[in-house]
Formats: sequence, structure tokens, C-alpha cells
Amino acid sequence: MLLHLLNRSPAGSRLPEDVLRAMGPDDRLLLIESGVYGAVSPQADCFKTLKGRCYALQDDLSARGLAERHADWIIPVDMAGFVALTAETQRTVSWY
Amino acid sequence: MASEQGKLRYALVVLGAPYSQAATHSALRFGEALITQGHRLDTVFFYHDGVYNTSRLAAPPQDEPHLVDAWVRLANEQGTELLVCVAAALRRGLLDEREAQRYGKPAFSVEPPFVLAGIGQLVEAGITHDRMVTFAP
Repeated sequence: MLLHLLNRSPAGSRLPEDVLRAMGPDDRLLLIESGVYGAVSPQADCFKTLKGRCYALQDDLSARGLAERHADWIIPVDMAGFVALTAETQRTVSWY
Repeated sequence: MASEQGKLRYALVVLGAPYSQAATHSALRFGEALITQGHRLDTVFFYHDGVYNTSRLAAPPQDEPHLVDAWVRLANEQGTELLVCVAAALRRGLLDEREAQRYGKPAFSVEPPFVLAGIGQLVEAGITHDRMVTFAP
């Protein structure tokens, strides 16, 4: 099981499509930095298939004024939650 | 393997330049959080534009975070090894005293606890640490 880190918004990059193609059925996705723009609808729609295993970094949501605006299938996590996700998964893959 | 039950040894790879991208801030905040949870941050490897994190000549405004000093503090307080890719560093003007002498340069810009290192040490870190997390531009 891998944790994928994505720091690009779906609005300005095709990278999220590549991540989705590469992800295994149990892999998790964490949106960080400008990747959290993908946590807000309608951009978030592309991650709907990941319900229950798609996360967004709370600090980065807050820094962009998106703290309460993420889609309901996106799970917000703080930095401690980020660390926990890396500990629970075998490896971390960064997409940029 | 982890030295204690559930406690992991982490290596971070920083590819983004300070004050340009979020990578350095993310890596520092992640590093602090993993230490708070009882894990160990044993190694940080600076590569690509991430090597700009290691300049001893960095002089940011006083009301902004001093990112180079933040790494130095980690090394002093946690014993974190700060490795700088030598090939990425030399071509960007980041030389320690020995390399500055070797290339006949009038000054050096990298000093301990930052240590110039080869790419082999990045590979080794990937093998010897429990987790490796990359922070990219």
C-alpha cells in the first residue's frame, strides 16, 4: 500500500490523471500545497472514486482559505495525520 | 527496521528552493511533526534547487523565517544528518571550504552541519531508513 503525495491542482495540470491511473486499489492520496485546490468541487470530482482514501492537508487548505470548502469525500488531516499516513503505508510517492 | 516498536527512522528529500516554493516549509513542518510523534528524523538530503537551502550566506529579512537556520537547529537538536548533493551544489555556487579551494574560488558558501555528499548516499538513505518522503517544487 502506497501513499501518493500530489502538490499540483487539477485546474492547471494533467498530473492528477496520471496519479489516478498509477494508484493501486488500496493506495491513498494526500493533497498538499497547491494540490489542495483539488479538494474543492468541481475539481474534486476527479477524486470521487477515491472516497475514504483521499486526504487533504488542513494547513494548506487553511492557507488558501479553503478550510471549510472541501468536498465531503475528502478527509482533512493535520501534520500529525500526514505523519501517521506515511507510517501506515509502506512507501510514499511524490508527484510534482 | 524501526529501533523501537512503532517508532520509525525518516529520511526527507528536499528538491525545492527556499523562498520560492512551498517544499522547504512543508518539509520542515513535516519534520517537526514526526519528531513530536516520537519518530526520528535521521537524514535530510538536499537535491536539485533544494541545495539553495544550505547557503551559509543566506540573509533573509528579520521578520521572515530563516529557513537555513531552521535546518541547522534540527541538526543541533536532533542529530539530523544534512546531506547536500555535491553535483547539484557545485553548479549552483554552493561549495564547502575544500571545494572552494579545489576550484580556486574566493569564498565558500556551505559549512557544517551541511555536508556535501554523493548520490550514492541518497540511495543508501532509501535503503537504511524506514521511510523516505520527497518534498518537491
